[in-house]
Amino acid sequence: MHFVSGGAFQGKRKWVNAYYSLTHTPHIWHCAYERPLPPPHDEKTASVVVLEGIEQWIRERFLPYTDEQKKAMMSYVHAWEQWEKEGERTVVWIGCDIGQGIVPIEAHERAWRDAVGWSYQQLARICSRVDYVWCGINEQIK
Amino acid sequence: MIVFISGGVRSGKSSFAEQCAKTIAQETCSLHYIATAMRTDKEMEARIAHHQHERQYDRWQTWEQPYDLDVLLPIFSERHVVLLDCLTNLWANELFRDDEWNVHVKVPRIAQQIKQLGEKVQALIVVSNELFCGGVPCERGTYAYMHGLGLLHQHIAAWSDVAILMKYGLPIVKKGRWLCGVELY
Repeated sequence: MHFVSGGAFQGKRKWVNAYYSLTHTPHIWHCAYERPLPPPHDEKTASVVVLEGIEQWIRERFLPYTDEQKKAMMSYVHAWEQWEKEGERTVVWIGCDIGQGIVPIEAHERAWRDAVGWSYQQLARICSRVDYVWCGINEQIK
Repeated sequence: MIVFISGGVRSGKSSFAEQCAKTIAQETCSLHYIATAMRTDKEMEARIAHHQHERQYDRWQTWEQPYDLDVLLPIFSERHVVLLDCLTNLWANELFRDDEWNVHVKVPRIAQQIKQLGEKVQALIVVSNELFCGGVPCERGTYAYMHGLGLLHQHIAAWSDVAILMKYGLPIVKKGRWLCGVELY
């Protein structure tokens, strides 16, 4: 699996599109800002699956970030990891870096930042490759 | 040639950019500074005075141009090294000039102006700010501002020969080469 992060509006989507030549590669693109990210079904037709908007998916499903929710999140990640292993497949996670601003006053917002930071660490550990995109330029950090 | 330098607040990007401009200009090119700040209040006056003081012992010529960068185009040639400080001011002035806040019209226009200027002069050094890693606000104006600035950064970085991210006064070269602060490719 491949984790791609970077600040907002830095060209993460564009970079993933170019890197995996998605204009002529069979792929499925799920965006959490449009609808909730699905578990892996039998998406046999796609060799690449992109899961975009991890931060939003966390906000909707895994707050306030209890141990139960952490477990649920990890089992979701592992389900995709398993799906990837079942064929010539790649799973790409795209998450916006939201962890470098002022600490928010509202507890819910703080919990969200914490949960996002924690899950990015898990993704970075599990994924074989990690890239950080700045101004459209990637830096492979793992 | 375009050199793009971005960084956080007080990361040393302005002084690094000035150094960079002098290095490229050597004795053969004149140094020009495009100041983008609008004189809006006392704090801004003080910031402008601070930057002017920093430059007064050098051979800079200052152009106050808060928007419409293309007005300056006819002035410059390959004998000039130009420092634009900073893109964040210019973009705010351009975006909020009217009530439409149209990112998709304004970004390509400003990006082209910067590209043209970069092609015309010996070197154009563009200074900007990093403000993309603290979450995305819902409020429409701020969202449009961040969106447009991010797009501008991507355009300029793509056209630049050197792209640098400043951290604590240290340059991190993301694109191109910067050798010991002396040579620049």
